[in-house]
Amino acid sequence: MGRIRGSAPGRALCTWRGGLSAGCLMLVALAALLAPWVAPYAYDIQNLSATNQAPSLAHWLGTDEFGRDVLSRIIYGARTSLSVAMAAIGVSVLMGMCLGAAAAYFGGALDRAISAVVDLTWSFPEVLIALIFVAILGPGLYSTMIAISIAYLAQFSRLTRAQILAIKGETYIEAATSLGGGHLHIVFRHLLPNSLTPVIVAGMLATGDAIILEATLGFFGLGIQPPKPSWGAMMSSGTAQIFLAPWTIIGPGVAIALAVLSINQFGDALIDALDIRSKLRET
Amino acid sequence: MFVYLIRRLLLLLPVFLAVSVVVFMIIHLVPGDPIDNMVQIGASPQQRAILVARYGLDQPLLVQYGVWLRNMLGGDLGDAIVMRQPVIDLIAENLPHSLRLGGLAFLFSTIVGITTGALAAIYKDSWIDRSVMTLILLGSTLPSFWLGLLLILLFAVQLEWFPVSGARSWTALVLPVLTIGLHGVALVSRVTRAAMLDVGRRDFVLMLHAKGLSHRRIQLQHVLRHALLPVATILSLRIGWIVGGAVTIEFVFARPGLGSLLITSLAQRDYPVVQGCLLMLAMAVMLGTLLGDLVQAAMDPRIREQLR
Amino acid sequence: MTVLTRPLKVLVLAMASTMISVAPAIAQDAVFVINAREAGSPTYNPIKGTKLNVGNNLIFDRMVVQDADQSFHGQLATSWESAPDGMSWTFKLRKGVKFHDGEPFNAKVIEWWLPKYKGTENAFMTDAIDKVVIVDDHTVKLLMKNPDPSLLLNMATSFMGIPSPKSYEALGDKFGVTGAVGSGPFKFESFTIGQQTKLVRNDDYRWASGLSINQGPAKIKRLTLREIAEESTAFLELKTGGVDMLLSVPTDFMPRIEAEKTLKAVVLPGTEVFYMPINTSVAPFTDIKVREAVALAVNQKEIQMSLFGGLGAVANNFLVSSLQESKINPKFNISYNPERAKKLLDEAGWAVGSGGIRAKSGTPLTVKLWTQNGTQFKRVTEVIQAQLKAIGVNAEITVQDPASINAMYKKKTDHQLAVRAYDYTNADILDWFFSGTRLGYPNVSMWNDPNAEELNAKAMKGSRTWEERVANFKSYHEYVMSQFVFAPIYQPTQSFAYSQARLKVPEKIRGIKMATQTIMDIEVK
Repeated sequence: MGRIRGSAPGRALCTWRGGLSAGCLMLVALAALLAPWVAPYAYDIQNLSATNQAPSLAHWLGTDEFGRDVLSRIIYGARTSLSVAMAAIGVSVLMGMCLGAAAAYFGGALDRAISAVVDLTWSFPEVLIALIFVAILGPGLYSTMIAISIAYLAQFSRLTRAQILAIKGETYIEAATSLGGGHLHIVFRHLLPNSLTPVIVAGMLATGDAIILEATLGFFGLGIQPPKPSWGAMMSSGTAQIFLAPWTIIGPGVAIALAVLSINQFGDALIDALDIRSKLRET
Repeated sequence: MFVYLIRRLLLLLPVFLAVSVVVFMIIHLVPGDPIDNMVQIGASPQQRAILVARYGLDQPLLVQYGVWLRNMLGGDLGDAIVMRQPVIDLIAENLPHSLRLGGLAFLFSTIVGITTGALAAIYKDSWIDRSVMTLILLGSTLPSFWLGLLLILLFAVQLEWFPVSGARSWTALVLPVLTIGLHGVALVSRVTRAAMLDVGRRDFVLMLHAKGLSHRRIQLQHVLRHALLPVATILSLRIGWIVGGAVTIEFVFARPGLGSLLITSLAQRDYPVVQGCLLMLAMAVMLGTLLGDLVQAAMDPRIREQLR
Repeated sequence: MTVLTRPLKVLVLAMASTMISVAPAIAQDAVFVINAREAGSPTYNPIKGTKLNVGNNLIFDRMVVQDADQSFHGQLATSWESAPDGMSWTFKLRKGVKFHDGEPFNAKVIEWWLPKYKGTENAFMTDAIDKVVIVDDHTVKLLMKNPDPSLLLNMATSFMGIPSPKSYEALGDKFGVTGAVGSGPFKFESFTIGQQTKLVRNDDYRWASGLSINQGPAKIKRLTLREIAEESTAFLELKTGGVDMLLSVPTDFMPRIEAEKTLKAVVLPGTEVFYMPINTSVAPFTDIKVREAVALAVNQKEIQMSLFGGLGAVANNFLVSSLQESKINPKFNISYNPERAKKLLDEAGWAVGSGGIRAKSGTPLTVKLWTQNGTQFKRVTEVIQAQLKAIGVNAEITVQDPASINAMYKKKTDHQLAVRAYDYTNADILDWFFSGTRLGYPNVSMWNDPNAEELNAKAMKGSRTWEERVANFKSYHEYVMSQFVFAPIYQPTQSFAYSQARLKVPEKIRGIKMATQTIMDIEVK
């Protein structure tokens, strides 16, 4: 127990904030993983004679405009939203770290070139970048993931670059170089591992934003194709019925808030435990 | 300092060129074209061909880019194909609305954000702190379009304090500014609070305590000033986004603005308009970043030294 | 406590300004929200414009207008007749008409006006006219290259509004944007694209068509036409009195409007049809049995009742039911028949497999179902997906962006089924969507059948009178139906809603839509 307590995540878990949010997160993740067993109905069973029904015993959160069970769609929606966000951010972090490391390590013209391209994406709000890339690639699961990962690329690239620049001059790096370490070795064995932490935590926080971005894309009607549920698309179709059937947008809204909240809170608790708040200021 | 400014401004030129290439390529990669939006039921293929030729859309991409670039350098952003007006006019009509909305939202989030963040730090762990933290949470986790719709429902429909949409009066700005502003408040507040707590841990503060100054006085007169530097850093990064950050909100509130113009022209594949808007946005961000860097330099002598 | 009062001051200021701005509404001013399908029109130039909105016919007058039953009534033309062989038309023009800039309307105007269409996107409307002959100041004779039974129909559209020659030449490319001068009941004041148009009453107007009770000037003094993209925002504006009328009402909000005592909703016969074209050039739809099965799987009634609240009408063929050419032999109409659909698929060799989806020699019956972004499209498509599943067809939906979808169709082989809609009240829409000369788009069904082409030519070019035209189009229509190149789905109604507290609207709506004919008679209370 002492070993776990001693590590940063462990310390984070021990606070009220950390523990509660982690628990919430686990719940959401479990719901997403075990959706077929947890959800009372399949997400695409239509029942056109029972549309827009208020919450009842048969349907805990009511039904939508096709008579589908809202609760089941929210649970399945967790799968879409979480997997899209995590995959997109994962790819984004990886690509961002490579770009940022290359820029910081080699410096000079390469640095300027990479920074110029990265700053270009930085110039536009994420919504716009995502909209444009979905327009180019066509709608669908994969284009949404790609669009989101490109939108957040700049963030991780800049962060990694700043981290590595800070430690590039350290003595142990000099030592490694003089001992004959090749470029790849230095980057992967020394530089990246030591700058990993802030980037990983920033990635966690960005996942929350990515869930919201996916919801916004869904609101504009782009992204995941029906009948697969996504929280954003559910809210978008729900706005048309805001008076008839308010539960169709309250449910997914609360789900998003819960998911993003717990991610952000756990991330914050982790930052406090790791005491790396100053390192994250670059973004 | 002056040299630095000149150097930065000169650097904008190649970046501008690069941005123009990217912007042009990107919009042409999107399937569909403006002619599809203009041809109506009954038109013949010959008519479509006439239209395509009239707007030069049958030329190779490089030629089209060249023409656009040449006109642009002469100050002419071209004429919108579907919307049939000079792009400059369209942007001139819409930009002030976005600036007003974005600018006010920026001001709102700065003032309210710094206030609430400072309060939270000064009265750390009290009910004030906790309510501010909750506000921060809500502001950063609710999707903006949802927040906008809820605000419309509550303040415009139920209470009828403000108009539902449009931009015909100053009151129409309140709800959209609030929607965008709340996100900004969350961010600024969080950073201010963190910065003040950070500064509060430093040695000179301990010394001021030892001298006998009151907690409130120390926080307001000394800590706040130092804490404003990291806050200004964050804010300076966001100045460039004043114009572009309102895209979704302009849609929900049916307001004119660069965001609405961009979405409409993107949907219609009106190439000159999309290119012009994206270019404007990029310029706004670059100039905003430059402005931010200058503000930082003005506030922090250490940075001024570095630049020399 | 200076730190706390700052946000408080901002709040007080905001509240104060709201109270000041609640001024009494100026009498005789009205604000309408234009039909969502007309939103985004970039110009008020009828000759060159390809997308026009209701404002056009308020600024410009036309030669003739249509009533709700599609009959023609004179406006700038008081009477007309065509030669028996259809090779010439004579129009008598109304006297005493003036444009907003004071210029007179007479035969010379027509002589100037008709040739202006050459080379524009609307040229096809005047293509058949060879020459304009001035008989006298108020009589013109049109000599035709070939008979054109659609002439009156075209003249009743917004695209044949008549502008003032002097103004048109003077403003050039800016005509329709910075200024637009016609002879209509309202004058153009200002136009902000995508946002609003401001119109002001033409006090000299005295020549409304016979369809308006009020022969002129209009009762409303200042009319603002606003464009609001988000449906709920438009509805909320009507509810809170920000606007006085919505020229199109999303079906979702009908119950709410009907529940509000101060609001009134009016339903008119529709001008749109939702349908599902079937790509006849790719498997499995090269087999007519599979096509028929898919067409019979669509439960039109269910869609009408549950998605549109029972409003509107089912579609059983390709044309809007108000058109005569839609009244074809009932045996050609297509309606829901799942039993026959399943039987056809069995006959075609598609046996039901695991999970309820059919397969043939190992290939599952999976098809692509395209639709475009838009609440109604997506909903109809999702229901159809479920209905197809019920007969064993697995349809995969792709929601395309409306601007790219036409480019996608032009690739010709990627698509299989699609959910589309059109808004048009003329039988020649059959030619537009099914002619072999337009494969890909608009002929999404990729249909090129020699019999069809022959019937098409006869209907489009070989009719000399209106009656002949109707008969020929019916034959063409029936053949199209028999080949199952599409599945009919639904005919939406048109509806508009207004605030009864603010507006007085006549009981009977003249014309196909809520437009000039009726707007002349609307009063602000």
